[in-house]
Amino acid sequence: MRRSTGSAPGPVPVSLLIISLLVAAGPLSARQGQTGVDELKKTALKVFLDCDDCDTEYIKTEITFVNYVRDRLEAQVHILITTQSTGGGGVEYTLTFIGQNEFKEAKDIQRYYSSKTDTDDDVRRGLVKALQLGLMGFVARTPIAGRIAVDYAPPDRAAEGRDRWNSWLFSLSGQGMFSGEESYAERMIDLSVSANRVTEASKVRLGLSAERATQDFELEDGPITGTTSGWSATGLYVWSLGEHWSAGASAEVEASTYSNTDLAASIAPAVEYNFFPYSQSTRRQLRALYTLSVKAVRYIEETIYGKTEETLFEEELSLTLDLREKFGTVSLSAEGSNYLHDFSKYRIDLFSILNLRLYKGFSVYCFGGYSWVHDQLSLIAREPTYEEILLRLRELPMVDNYFVAVGFQFQFGSIFTNVINPRFGTSGSGGLSINIR
Amino acid sequence: MMHTSRIVAALLLALAGLAVLPALAQAPPPGPGAPPPRPRAFVDWPGGDLGALRTEVPFIEFVADLEAADVEVAVRPQASPDGERFSVAFTGLKRFQGDDNAIAFVPAPGARPEDVRSGLVGTIKLGLLRYAAKTPVARDLSVRFLDQAKPTAVDDPWNSWIFSLSGNAFLMGETQYRSGSYFASVSANRVRPELKIQTSVYYNQNDTWFDFGDGTFYDSSTHGFGASALVVKSLGEHWSAGGYAEAESSTYSNLDLGFTIAPAVEYNLFPYSESTKRQFRILYRLGYTYARYIEETIYFKTSENLLQEALSCAYEVVRPWGNVTVRLEGSHYFHDFSKNRLELGTELDIRIWRGLSFEIDAEYARIHDQLSLPAGGASYEEILLRQKQLATGYDYQLSVGFNFSFGSTRSNVVNPRFGNGGRSISIHM
Repeated sequence: MRRSTGSAPGPVPVSLLIISLLVAAGPLSARQGQTGVDELKKTALKVFLDCDDCDTEYIKTEITFVNYVRDRLEAQVHILITTQSTGGGGVEYTLTFIGQNEFKEAKDIQRYYSSKTDTDDDVRRGLVKALQLGLMGFVARTPIAGRIAVDYAPPDRAAEGRDRWNSWLFSLSGQGMFSGEESYAERMIDLSVSANRVTEASKVRLGLSAERATQDFELEDGPITGTTSGWSATGLYVWSLGEHWSAGASAEVEASTYSNTDLAASIAPAVEYNFFPYSQSTRRQLRALYTLSVKAVRYIEETIYGKTEETLFEEELSLTLDLREKFGTVSLSAEGSNYLHDFSKYRIDLFSILNLRLYKGFSVYCFGGYSWVHDQLSLIAREPTYEEILLRLRELPMVDNYFVAVGFQFQFGSIFTNVINPRFGTSGSGGLSINIR
Repeated sequence: MMHTSRIVAALLLALAGLAVLPALAQAPPPGPGAPPPRPRAFVDWPGGDLGALRTEVPFIEFVADLEAADVEVAVRPQASPDGERFSVAFTGLKRFQGDDNAIAFVPAPGARPEDVRSGLVGTIKLGLLRYAAKTPVARDLSVRFLDQAKPTAVDDPWNSWIFSLSGNAFLMGETQYRSGSYFASVSANRVRPELKIQTSVYYNQNDTWFDFGDGTFYDSSTHGFGASALVVKSLGEHWSAGGYAEAESSTYSNLDLGFTIAPAVEYNLFPYSESTKRQFRILYRLGYTYARYIEETIYFKTSENLLQEALSCAYEVVRPWGNVTVRLEGSHYFHDFSKNRLELGTELDIRIWRGLSFEIDAEYARIHDQLSLPAGGASYEEILLRQKQLATGYDYQLSVGFNFSFGSTRSNVVNPRFGNGGRSISIHM
């Protein structure tokens, strides 16, 4: 029964040997069948699927031996799915099975890794399999277990070769966005190249990107065109120093018309301390990062301080807390920086994401940021034009800026969400959708 | 000038240096060439049927020595007033340290001893799957449900109705600019395989404020509200019939009040049960609308009654090579056939070869039905801030992207240091 592993490209050779096993003897007879199955389904495991990026309709269509509920407190198993990106450009899905109510003492953690080259269908099939296998430890406690078969098909495979790329991953991507109507057109193009190498011991990220955006308005007294463009080259190297410490450096060369920067180059050594062990990072992190940077910059237009170029030293301290728990998501960060030549040139940024399931059916979110800005050294000396202001083509002087999104949702009624009904399309009822990556 | 370019050159050199560094610092990781060993289990089951276990649970290697095992399974009969029951305890050892589980097995009343034994074998098998799932053996395992259970086979006092209230606000600003968006809704939905009902009432508002820095300001507000209902009856695996009812008011569309009622039928070329994999839906909709405008329109109307028909096709497929969605919709008004609209949309995300994938998202509309355009036109600011619908014969959106990746695309290493850029949080309301 021992076979060699490997991921031969292309379809996996169809099994030489499929062993299909029934837990209970024989299938239910056709007559007693449907009502028997429906009775079993009533006692099936109640699952709360807590996943932001899953294709839940597909999961519900493929895994039908459990009942899905809309509130975590109703569930016998809360499946918390958290994600982190991998060195190969894919995603690590951590499936934490948390037993509740009757199954309070049970728990399990399963993992599924997707690859950068996987399509949506590859990923959703892989995730369904990880879910099915992980659910079995819980389903085995319910009567429906008798109606589950397990197939084992060890394929004949060649051994997996060693990684000749030595963990390097190269990526080239580009995007163009065009939209318009008779009196308005918008174009946006960006291109990027990256080379990354991520291992447990170190992390290297190198990237080059460029973008350009144009807006054209056709007005009665002539056309108006607004353009912003920029490019940047970045590099980052990080050494791992145990479960709590890391040290590294980043370097960047950039140009941006929005920020009046003809060319800027910076180099910045940094250290980081994580109050939680890095191995728990998919569920919790509290990281403090200190960065010291030196930047040489040449401006497009003379600045309000009368400079056309200068060299700046800056320090920055940031604190980031990320928690993903049964009751929801908490993410808070605070960042402060100042220039060393003049301590009154500083900025402070606060940022928070809270998404909490407070009580049965009731959830709230608050998502916001606030910045005190006293370090706009690159502002242009002249007044920006009316169009530059309205089209937001230029950075404008400010002392602070903020954004905040708050909301709540209260649901009641049926706790089950088993049914998928695709007729007339599945329409969202509008609303707000926020994604942060 | 010289100064800056020298620093830039030095930095580019440093970037190149960073690229070489790790290659020097690390030996290549050992290649996994060994065949996947099955997890080993030691079973402590007095009077148990170990032979049946070996044939029924081929993905586990059963060992006679606890020292050699990765998992210990202990089966114990338990005295219980209601009859016989067993506890099956799984204890993780070595790499599965701390990974424990306990399952109670209760045989059916009056079960024969061989049924009890095979039931216990089944419980042990399902219980061992979580360990096998954490080894390379997982790739060769799959789980099937032998029956088709109705998704509605649940005890549900609410009879599938779900009610939802939500309120949202999004505000942003800086010294010379502020904006606010608000959205609130109440909905009541009942989704059953044979009937779908979705209803909602909503309100939204957008405010913008600019300070031009010379003592002049500009501020504006747009808002809309409405109610909608959709009812769809299932008529077999391919047909559906239903209707929409909508009431809306929108300053963007110059609509003081619009009321629409529209019966519709749909045909799906593929069975609806395959909808997460493929669907080709053709929907015909006949709609009656009463509209009352805020300002007189370019056709000199302040209110009117309209009859419109629309035909739309949507093809969606999700396959291992990628996803494709194509939509085509045409509509016209009956009082004047030249007042029509044609919309074409497509989304493609296709893996062409290994690490090369393409993404296209395109939408095009030919528009000849802007009946609600205000005769007064829009102000300079309303145009620049896109606050009023403008006269146009078309509108398009095209986004094209590609990604080519090569190298160690199978690496599963996670290194969260200095931030990963990979944590994703999304909030859907």
